[in-house]
Amino acid sequence: MFHFFKKAKKANTQSKPQKNNDPIRSSLKHNTEHIKQLFSYGTNKDFSYRDLIAKYNQKEMSLFYYSSIVNGDKIYEAIIRPLLEAEGNELKNVVTVESLTEIKDFDEVIEHINSGKAILFQEGTAIAFSIDVAQFQFRSIGKAENESAIKGPQEAFTESLNVNISLVRKRVHDKQLITESKQVGKRSKSEVNFLYVSDLVNDDILNNLKKRLDEINTDSVRNVELLEQYIEERPYSIFPSIHYTERPDKAASYLEDGYIIILMDNSAACLVVPVTFWSFFHAQEDRYLRFLYGNFTRAIRLFAFYLTTMISATYVGITNFHSEMLPPDLLLAITASRERVPFPLIFEVLIMEVAFELIREAGIRIPNPLGPTIGIVGALILGQAAVEANIISPIIVIVAAVSGLTSFAIADVSINFTVRITRFIFIAAAGTYGMFGLAGAFLVWFMYAASLKSFGVPFFSPLAPYFKSPGDTVFRKAIKNEIWRPGNLLPKDLRKKRDSTSK
Amino acid sequence: MKDYKTLTTREMFALVTLLVGIKFADTTPALLAQKGQNAFWMIPIISFLIIFPSFLLLIYLLKRYKDKNLVELLEKVLGRFFGKSLGFLLFILAYATLIFDSRNYVEQIKLLYYPQSPTLIISIVFMAVIFFCAKRGFEVIGFTSWIGLPLIKFAVFLLAALIFKEAVWNRIFPIFGSGVQVIVMEGVKNSSIFLEFFLLTIAYTAFKDTKFFRRGSYFGGLFVIFEIILFFLLYTVIFDYNSIDKIAFPFHEITQYINFGDYFTNIETFFMVFWLFAGFMRFIILLYLITWIFGAVFNINEFEPLLFPFAFLALMIGVIPENAIVNELIIRDLLLDISTPLFVLFPFILWIVALCKGELKKT
Repeated sequence: MFHFFKKAKKANTQSKPQKNNDPIRSSLKHNTEHIKQLFSYGTNKDFSYRDLIAKYNQKEMSLFYYSSIVNGDKIYEAIIRPLLEAEGNELKNVVTVESLTEIKDFDEVIEHINSGKAILFQEGTAIAFSIDVAQFQFRSIGKAENESAIKGPQEAFTESLNVNISLVRKRVHDKQLITESKQVGKRSKSEVNFLYVSDLVNDDILNNLKKRLDEINTDSVRNVELLEQYIEERPYSIFPSIHYTERPDKAASYLEDGYIIILMDNSAACLVVPVTFWSFFHAQEDRYLRFLYGNFTRAIRLFAFYLTTMISATYVGITNFHSEMLPPDLLLAITASRERVPFPLIFEVLIMEVAFELIREAGIRIPNPLGPTIGIVGALILGQAAVEANIISPIIVIVAAVSGLTSFAIADVSINFTVRITRFIFIAAAGTYGMFGLAGAFLVWFMYAASLKSFGVPFFSPLAPYFKSPGDTVFRKAIKNEIWRPGNLLPKDLRKKRDSTSK
Repeated sequence: MKDYKTLTTREMFALVTLLVGIKFADTTPALLAQKGQNAFWMIPIISFLIIFPSFLLLIYLLKRYKDKNLVELLEKVLGRFFGKSLGFLLFILAYATLIFDSRNYVEQIKLLYYPQSPTLIISIVFMAVIFFCAKRGFEVIGFTSWIGLPLIKFAVFLLAALIFKEAVWNRIFPIFGSGVQVIVMEGVKNSSIFLEFFLLTIAYTAFKDTKFFRRGSYFGGLFVIFEIILFFLLYTVIFDYNSIDKIAFPFHEITQYINFGDYFTNIETFFMVFWLFAGFMRFIILLYLITWIFGAVFNINEFEPLLFPFAFLALMIGVIPENAIVNELIIRDLLLDISTPLFVLFPFILWIVALCKGELKKT
């Protein structure tokens, strides 16, 4: 292991991209040549440059930018036109843009051009001016498609960092809401922004996150989906350790509880750290619904959780090993339906479960116009034809349908995979040793989950270990009675609701 | 985030309840009923009265010596050599209990639900589950106990409620069965059915505050004795003196008697699942504590890697006895008789030594 690390380290130092921190010279010609060479001007079609002579000081100037990621009108209106027409004593009084930064070396020049800024060189000056004219294209704000809600806001994050931050700030009007940023990626640098409420967040968790971001050593991290895999704790575990959501209102409610959310350009979602099991179990709508309705939803979801992981396994276990448990009528019904089926029961269940997973996977990948095909193939071939051909018994269709259907009640995409994989583990366990195997497998699975920690926070906290919390675990309290923030995060301010008697 | 101790009273309560409380659902009642007959439900009361003062004394000593676990306390009071020797002796007895009890559970699973399956394979599965779970650490064992406890106890009390109508209360007479003397003797001899109480003291300092340990053990102890007596009494009034000593697994027997309405008539598998959880939990806790004691005796701080060899050894020795009868009626009976005096007396020895050394006078 050690040897492996050593090797990996060595390889990394060799492949580091060359640094370009040449200083900017005062000769415009030199600067222009250098930058043209850096960006392969001529070959690189959208890399543009423009020479002009500024009216206010009669000096030669050159402007560089990527035409595809800047706002052309803005360049014309705020830079070129003022430079050609306006009088003034220095540059900052001439150009009419909101941000003008001075930069000193080519390393920075490259970074700025890549992030959508225009760079202005001036004859006889050893600095360059970076002018923010970026205009990256992105999708407009849409509806939350994957975490839909009937009651509650419909907005979802979109693939633009600034828009996403604005969506969050719109909800959290708190001067302590900090947006900190770090750059990741060695070659293509991307900005990772993490938001937290500074007088709530636990500093250990925050520092842990920063450390993990600093430790990322790779060419590029394009979006939060990839970032998640770079900063998560257990890459091989079946349990996720970072929460992923596309709902800004959910992100905002996490922020107010002392969590940290991570945003990047190019992702219509954010990451939330740390997580507990409950983050995956809850849907934001549970909180928007009234106490009783919300808890009813939770009860249904808990039941769905049980069914989707256990029903196939229980069916296999009971019919194979504990058939005496079934009431005689039910037992006869099952036996009669299985009479002409040639396969062993566990094999039958596996066929159906795998078929369901196939339909599901195909359903996601299939191009929209072909969508209905899946329904026909799934319902007719797998359901009816397979039963009529005596490949599987009708009861199995019901069992597989229930276990498949209930898995959709577990909305979170990460935990959904956990549940689906778990189902197969349990089926295997129940197939080997009935309820004994199933109970054992469940206990191992559960204790493994209970031992997990995400950024130091135990997975089943605040239930076990117990912490002061809003009591929002399996069920939730009436919103008025929530006094504490989740104590398992050790937030700086634990009390959510000011006690009217204390002050 | 920094590691912090999180275990509190509730986890301790759950640990005690699961570790000791399951005694009513294994072969212990059958063992006690051999001599106690229909009055065997009183045996645990006597045992409890015998063993609880010792336990309280041990708790008192732990409290006086502050922040020491069982083995550290033994060393502090008795000196290095005698302390470690006594610790090792406790370890041997506890480990023997683990080995033969686990075989006992495997036999129950095999005889009742998987008669055609080889004992060895069931043992392997059983031990594998225990090992993998114990490996997750003491805190996780504590949380799991706490989360699992309500479910397990719900099933148990549902069973008690469903079986109630089968009870014939006159069967508790003659009230002292085959004689007061027999009951008292059996109670004294079998006090070690509660020996797990002592093993838990190795975890004395693992709690957020030691007062949680004490509180949890008192509540847990009381709950456990209530539960055990309730079930023993139920067995008495359901089976009567004639059949009680012939039934090997009274718990599973009564699960066969009951039905839930007219439709669900054979629901023993339902109770079997919860019984299995409780059984797994008991051995997970036991294995962890025993390894911990071993680690403490031999100054091994990182004792968790030892879980595997101990689980493996327990598995190997466990399959040696030829059958369940030998295991239960000879070996386990003998083991309980041997361990009783040691567990009852060692806190007193500690106390007397500490008293003579004058260490208890400080405050």
